[in-house]
Amino acid sequence: MEAASIAHAVHGEHDHHGPPPANHSSRVEPQLLGMLLFIISEIMVFGAFFTAYFFIRVANGDPWPAHGTTLPVLPTLFNTFILVSSSFTMHWAQTGIKNGNRFALKAGILTTFLLGCTFLFLQINEYANIGFAPQNGAQQTIFYSLTGLHGAHVTIGLILLLLVCVRAFRGHYTPEEHRGVEIPGIYWHFVDVMWIVVFVTVYVI
Amino acid sequence: MLNPLRTEEEAFRFLLYAIAVITVIVAIILIARAIF
Repeated sequence: MEAASIAHAVHGEHDHHGPPPANHSSRVEPQLLGMLLFIISEIMVFGAFFTAYFFIRVANGDPWPAHGTTLPVLPTLFNTFILVSSSFTMHWAQTGIKNGNRFALKAGILTTFLLGCTFLFLQINEYANIGFAPQNGAQQTIFYSLTGLHGAHVTIGLILLLLVCVRAFRGHYTPEEHRGVEIPGIYWHFVDVMWIVVFVTVYVI
Repeated sequence: MLNPLRTEEEAFRFLLYAIAVITVIVAIILIARAIF
């Protein structure tokens, strides 16, 4: 009898079939927590590449850039401004949908996507004209590795932005429900911060 | 700023903060290099 009532009580708590709903803290939404943990793991990946860079430059004392090579600092600075401005347009889109301004959402996301495409195009163009290859030496390898790892992240960000863009133009997202814009936005800002770190270490210092 | 990535707005503010801090660090390094 007692066992039956316990079984009934347990059954009453879970009317649905399948696993119980996942537990999550009240302070951070699961989607945000997922993106936060993903970004932390991304920082570790970049950290591994930066370790190789600093090993070559500081521990090994090799010249940077390698003898006989030059890095196009000014064109890349221009490219950096393009990427940084894409974070501003992303923020414009985000505040737009929060305030119910659909034009700001659509224009902001589309501009962010196009600025990101421009950054990636210029980066590829830089690879084509830089005059050295990854296999030429340790410095060249880490140059392509760091900028290429970042370029891969821009590509992933652009895929996310394209999805957001298509959804925005199809009438999705409201001032109440716009997590689909917010979370790719957080990722995009992360990619931007990471580029500033990569640009400063590889091109400036 | 408990978690700068809690919302897009805070992530954007963190980006501006990171730009400011990195600019100051780079300026200090470049000035120190020019002097010494």
